[in-house]
Amino acid sequence: MKRLQLATLRIDASRKLSFTYRGRTLEGVHGDTIATALYANGVRVFSRSLKYHRPRGLYSLDGESANTLMSVDGVPNVLAETTPLRGGMKVEPQNVVGSPERDALGFLDRLDGFMPAGFYYRTMHKPAALWPPAAGVVRRMAGVGKLDPGFRAAGRYEETYLNAEVCVVGGGPAGMQAALAAARQGLRVVLLERRPWLGGFFEYRAPLHERARRLAAEVAEAGNVRSFCSTALIGLYNDHLVTAFQAGTDTDPFEERYVEIRAASVVVATGAIERPLLFENNERPGVMQVGCAQRLARTYGLLPGKTAVLSVAHDLGLECAADLAELGLDVACVADVREEGQDESLVRALAGRGIPLLRGWVAAEAKGRRAVDGVVLRSLSETASKEVACDVLVASAGVTPLAGPVTMAGGKLAYDAHTGAYLAAELPPGLHVAGRLTGLHDPAAIEASGRHAGLRAAEAKLEEPRSLPGPARGSTLVMAPVEGRKAFVCFDEDTTVKNVRQAVEQGFDRPELVKRFAAVGTGPGQGGIPGHNLPLLLAELLGEPVTALRPTTARSPAVAVGLAALAGSRHDMCKRTPLHDSQKASGAVMRRIGPWQRARYFSADTTCRAEVENVRTNVGLLDASTLGKFRLWGPDAVKALQRVYVSDMSKLKPGRVKYSAMCNDDGCVVDDGIVVRRGEDEYYLTTTTGRAGETVQWFRYHTRYDGWDYKMVNLTDAYGAVNVAGPNARKVLEKVTDADVSNAAFPFGTYREFVLGTIPVRAMRLGFVGEPSFELHVPASFTQAAWDLLAEAGAEHGVKSFGVEAQNVLRMEKGHLIVGSETEQRTTLHDVGLGFLWSRKKPEMKTVGAVALRQTEDQPDRLKLVGFRMDVPGETPRDGSIVVDEKIRGYVSIARYSSTLGQSVGLALVDAPLAEEGTALKIYEDGCKGKLKRARVVSLPFYDPAGERMRM
Amino acid sequence: MSFLITCPTCGPRNAYEFRYGGEDKGPRPAEDGMTVEAWMDYVHRNRSVPGVVKEWWFHRDGCATWFTVYRDTTTNREAEAPP
Repeated sequence: MKRLQLATLRIDASRKLSFTYRGRTLEGVHGDTIATALYANGVRVFSRSLKYHRPRGLYSLDGESANTLMSVDGVPNVLAETTPLRGGMKVEPQNVVGSPERDALGFLDRLDGFMPAGFYYRTMHKPAALWPPAAGVVRRMAGVGKLDPGFRAAGRYEETYLNAEVCVVGGGPAGMQAALAAARQGLRVVLLERRPWLGGFFEYRAPLHERARRLAAEVAEAGNVRSFCSTALIGLYNDHLVTAFQAGTDTDPFEERYVEIRAASVVVATGAIERPLLFENNERPGVMQVGCAQRLARTYGLLPGKTAVLSVAHDLGLECAADLAELGLDVACVADVREEGQDESLVRALAGRGIPLLRGWVAAEAKGRRAVDGVVLRSLSETASKEVACDVLVASAGVTPLAGPVTMAGGKLAYDAHTGAYLAAELPPGLHVAGRLTGLHDPAAIEASGRHAGLRAAEAKLEEPRSLPGPARGSTLVMAPVEGRKAFVCFDEDTTVKNVRQAVEQGFDRPELVKRFAAVGTGPGQGGIPGHNLPLLLAELLGEPVTALRPTTARSPAVAVGLAALAGSRHDMCKRTPLHDSQKASGAVMRRIGPWQRARYFSADTTCRAEVENVRTNVGLLDASTLGKFRLWGPDAVKALQRVYVSDMSKLKPGRVKYSAMCNDDGCVVDDGIVVRRGEDEYYLTTTTGRAGETVQWFRYHTRYDGWDYKMVNLTDAYGAVNVAGPNARKVLEKVTDADVSNAAFPFGTYREFVLGTIPVRAMRLGFVGEPSFELHVPASFTQAAWDLLAEAGAEHGVKSFGVEAQNVLRMEKGHLIVGSETEQRTTLHDVGLGFLWSRKKPEMKTVGAVALRQTEDQPDRLKLVGFRMDVPGETPRDGSIVVDEKIRGYVSIARYSSTLGQSVGLALVDAPLAEEGTALKIYEDGCKGKLKRARVVSLPFYDPAGERMRM
Repeated sequence: MSFLITCPTCGPRNAYEFRYGGEDKGPRPAEDGMTVEAWMDYVHRNRSVPGVVKEWWFHRDGCATWFTVYRDTTTNREAEAPP
């Protein structure tokens, strides 16, 4: 179809784009949306409706209905009328059996009598057995698009977070003036516009389009206005938080971008949409909004058809008729519901072209099966009617301000009799409105209201008010004088005037109730078509004053937004230790643990047998850098320790390591670690990797009323840590330091500071893996150097790295717990066998957990931590398997085959009566199909019960 | 959490920079004669009023200070201290 050549065009007809529709290759042009490209190729039926499978066409160009939802490149529910065309797109219709023109389910339209309002609530529940097959049928007949479960969204999805003084929603003349006014006060302004260009209401109307482009150029030049086009508002929240999503153009690196703005004030200048006229078959393909018809021609260069009839209620409709006639469309006649009050210049323009203007007339019925081929017009005052042939019917009952964002932000609307619309009445502080949203129509008045709102948002001095036209008188007509059986209030949900009457008859008499019961405005169009028609129609049907009812509150998302856009960027963010690269070079298989990447194995053997044996018989090196590490100091440091740790911290001697635990107020273990006293009021403590981030918060929380003088610094990332473990550990360490690290000078459970070469070290003798071991804390930037020294010194012994899994097996063999593996929300210090850590000698310190520990220590029916040995070695249950008899009696926290012991052993939490040594346990593993594994409770530790090896 | 919280050190910041610390229940009571019910009350029971509440918040993504604010739980936003 040849395009018109106009100054208002936003397409470039010389740049052609190829795409396929239902397998056929078609051509559009650069700047087309998918829908306009299809329209240019003669497509008139775009989809079939949800319930009745009625044909639906291009009704609006802004997405207020689901008429043009199509499947594009495998992505369902793409709104073709707002999505720019790209070359190579593969477009398919949805929810049709056959084609949109010939849908095999079209017969459902004749069964509307069986589908009254809310029929699914009353029919689709008995008999219950019928539901599964019925659900399948309903889903096939009333779905909107199909999604392959294997589908993955392609492209990048980004996020951007902005702070601004003023956020303006809507880039039309009022929005642009508001942005410029606030920017000239020196404030930062963010401007959001849904269409790909600024301009709004002026953009497609000659000669106002020149004014629009001039304002857009001024906005582009203003250094402190940041404009986002192709950006739709999603929500408006407390304290002026604005969320939106931006569709990427072909020059943007992203598919979609989530935009979040924290503003000090917001200007809503979202304009107005048409109020659909209710008449029979008001949604037939060929029926379209005034703005849609005019913009097809002015923006996309397409005449909407051959012969048009217009049934309008405001001057914009007359302007559209005159404009389209000028561009070559045959306008058969114009029906205007108003008896008088038309703009005389427009009346003359129509008369000059010989276009009949029928004042006080309205469209009553659209004729034509698959598309409009004629219209029955009716007089509102007499019983006269006439039928006119046409293939385009432009119909509108008035103007609806897009006030959704106002109600979303907590503002209130009230009916205004002059405009016949609901306007903003109460606004929360910091929220301002401007432009057509306030009922204005005159261009100068629209711009002035924008400037005014921008100045108020900037809390600046307002200019002298000029005398400008106020809001235009609007039409209050809602429905043509028809029965309404096929007059659609909501296109998406196929809800007619008749359905709304049925809802009212059943007692649903408020917009909120009718919306939900009869499904009016609950479809993908997010209520754009019913709009204000719902309360206006209800008022008529109920015979109530229209001021008594209001539109429903708009809810986020204001437009449908893809989950991928809300999920944002998908990169994995993790922390690495200073030894990360060298560990990987040594063959480490890394795994995420909390925010960290850690070496889990050093070979393909996930039992880590070689690593375990090497530590038990020789010497191994472990990267322990992720451990939480803290400096705690000050005059009241010991008080803070006493409050948070269960042990008595008042008698810590320098040079000794104290192992203790932290509990919560239920007495349950939340963390464990060691505390070292380095000086008078100077402490160094470690925590588990997982809890490190919470430690300062925890200490501060539990001392928040006391006003104690102490300070804490999180040194977790400032220090790396290397564990040298095994019978030959000392031999390796001796080679890299001059300090006396003999067992006499540096025994088990002590702390020393010395140097490795020139690297300062804080060293501890601990026994987590049950062999002589040295935990060496060095500044992060020296950790690799320290590791290299130890690796070189250990080469003659064949020192090898070991990872987290090997450490897991080694500590299990010693019965040592890991917080989060053997402990959980329900396990107190007593339950896991650490009750001996708790000191009863400090009640005045009000230690966190002490009350609960006292109250639970003799409580029966608690879980207890036990060790167990499998009856059949090698038959090892998975972690998390449950212990059962007639009921669930506990669960396995860890179980492994131990090459050291030649047995399969593990730790479990079981009901107290089963915790006796020698008790037989039956273990149910997921998927075992009833074949239980058997074990027996044994005493802990499994390996080296006397604990002699780690003291060597 | 779209609202703002005013940190005494850093000023008004996005609420998701903070960690919520519960209703203000006052300092830890004395442990002498503490019953199981009284302890459960102190630790777990909340008044949960729809209205202005005194709460503890921690500036996790900032200065790491624990502080109290008055907040209206019906609007989610900070409020004036009640008279």
